[in-house]
Amino acid sequence: MFFMDKKVLEIGYGSVQKVKIGDRLPLVFIGGPCAIESQEHAFMMADEIGKICRRVGISWIYKSCFDKDCRSSPDSFHGIGMHEGLRVLSDIRNEFGIPVVSDFSDPAWGAPTGEVCDMVQVPAYLCRQTSMLRAAAQTGRPIHLKKGQFMSPWNMKNSVRKIEAAGNHQVLLADRGTFFGYNMLVNDMTSFPIMAATGYPVCFDATHSIQLPTSMGNISGGQREFIPHLVRAAVACGVNALFMETHNDPENALSDANTVLDIKYLENILGQAKRVHEVRLELFDKYGEDNVHPEK
Amino acid sequence: MSTPKSSLLVSDVMMSLDLVPVIGETVIFKEALEEMGRKRLGIACIVNPENSLLGILTDGDVRRMLLRVQKPFSAFFVDDALDHSIRSPLTIAPGDTLAHAVRIMDDRHVWDLPVVNSTGTLVGLLHLHPAVEALLKIQA
Repeated sequence: MFFMDKKVLEIGYGSVQKVKIGDRLPLVFIGGPCAIESQEHAFMMADEIGKICRRVGISWIYKSCFDKDCRSSPDSFHGIGMHEGLRVLSDIRNEFGIPVVSDFSDPAWGAPTGEVCDMVQVPAYLCRQTSMLRAAAQTGRPIHLKKGQFMSPWNMKNSVRKIEAAGNHQVLLADRGTFFGYNMLVNDMTSFPIMAATGYPVCFDATHSIQLPTSMGNISGGQREFIPHLVRAAVACGVNALFMETHNDPENALSDANTVLDIKYLENILGQAKRVHEVRLELFDKYGEDNVHPEK
Repeated sequence: MSTPKSSLLVSDVMMSLDLVPVIGETVIFKEALEEMGRKRLGIACIVNPENSLLGILTDGDVRRMLLRVQKPFSAFFVDDALDHSIRSPLTIAPGDTLAHAVRIMDDRHVWDLPVVNSTGTLVGLLHLHPAVEALLKIQA
């Protein structure tokens, strides 16, 4: 495997705290409620997650979406809308001084999303749509690009090249699970070194990885009891960022109720993840970086 | 009247770049194979935007690689051709004599020599068939 130079992303414009992701830098947390439910809820979550991250000692980026376009049912909560959602995210930046990320599902929403958000996210299902990737690239912001559940990790390079062709060289590649038959996902840990071979940092999306897509007829299920196991495994394998959606009341969450992590577990898992990441780097210092090259 | 053998230069016989598989540094392996097929040559020259030669990929390299690579073809195909190339290939200068170039090809058992000028820029390809043909014409 041929490793390009490792790129480091800097997330955050204006007066918010800058967060760097990549290479041997400390692990970064990206999280928040799946959907923006209300200004009050968003602020409460930002405040609570911020306190936890300060206690753990981990840099973080607030994530929440204004439009959920891939819900299983027409009756599911679709989001509070772009205008209102971006206003809430802008207020969170100003109030808490932290960078924010939201996804967008329509190329036309790319520019307004990038105007407010420090990072823009391309949904997994849309990860190879040229118009989406171009719109994300044209924001000029770093891009959180999720590997589609149907994509091989090596084919994500094609999506990266589309982004680069549009002039953007700031990408974070995430694994959120790969379809294993119907309604089932698995994590292939080799996806991290394979995607990292592009030179860009990689991220593990823990809460979507334990999803059972549309397993409950018209909504998705999930096995959140596996979140800590997968987090430890992925961070030990080698990721630069950890993504988890979290909620104070998962049962009543308006989106992804079966997969979001109850915030009462967040500190425990983030603490472990941070430590595993540090141990991995300590092991590299002691034994050297991975150097097995089967093709040579 | 025949040209003296010693005066025939690589630049007189080399193939122009439009006839040679020349690919960019981010071209994937599968596209490199397609280009080699289209141009009907067993070599691809990989260059940067300034046309400096970065590496070559040959039929022999591909054969050896097929026996070595264990990952799925779909993963192999999307690798950059450059990742699997010879990064410091044997080259020849356009001003070298053809006789000298053919001797190198014989010694090293190669069919092709990328022709690179003094600044490292790829300017052509010396292929064995036209080279031999030119030498035979001189003898005839």
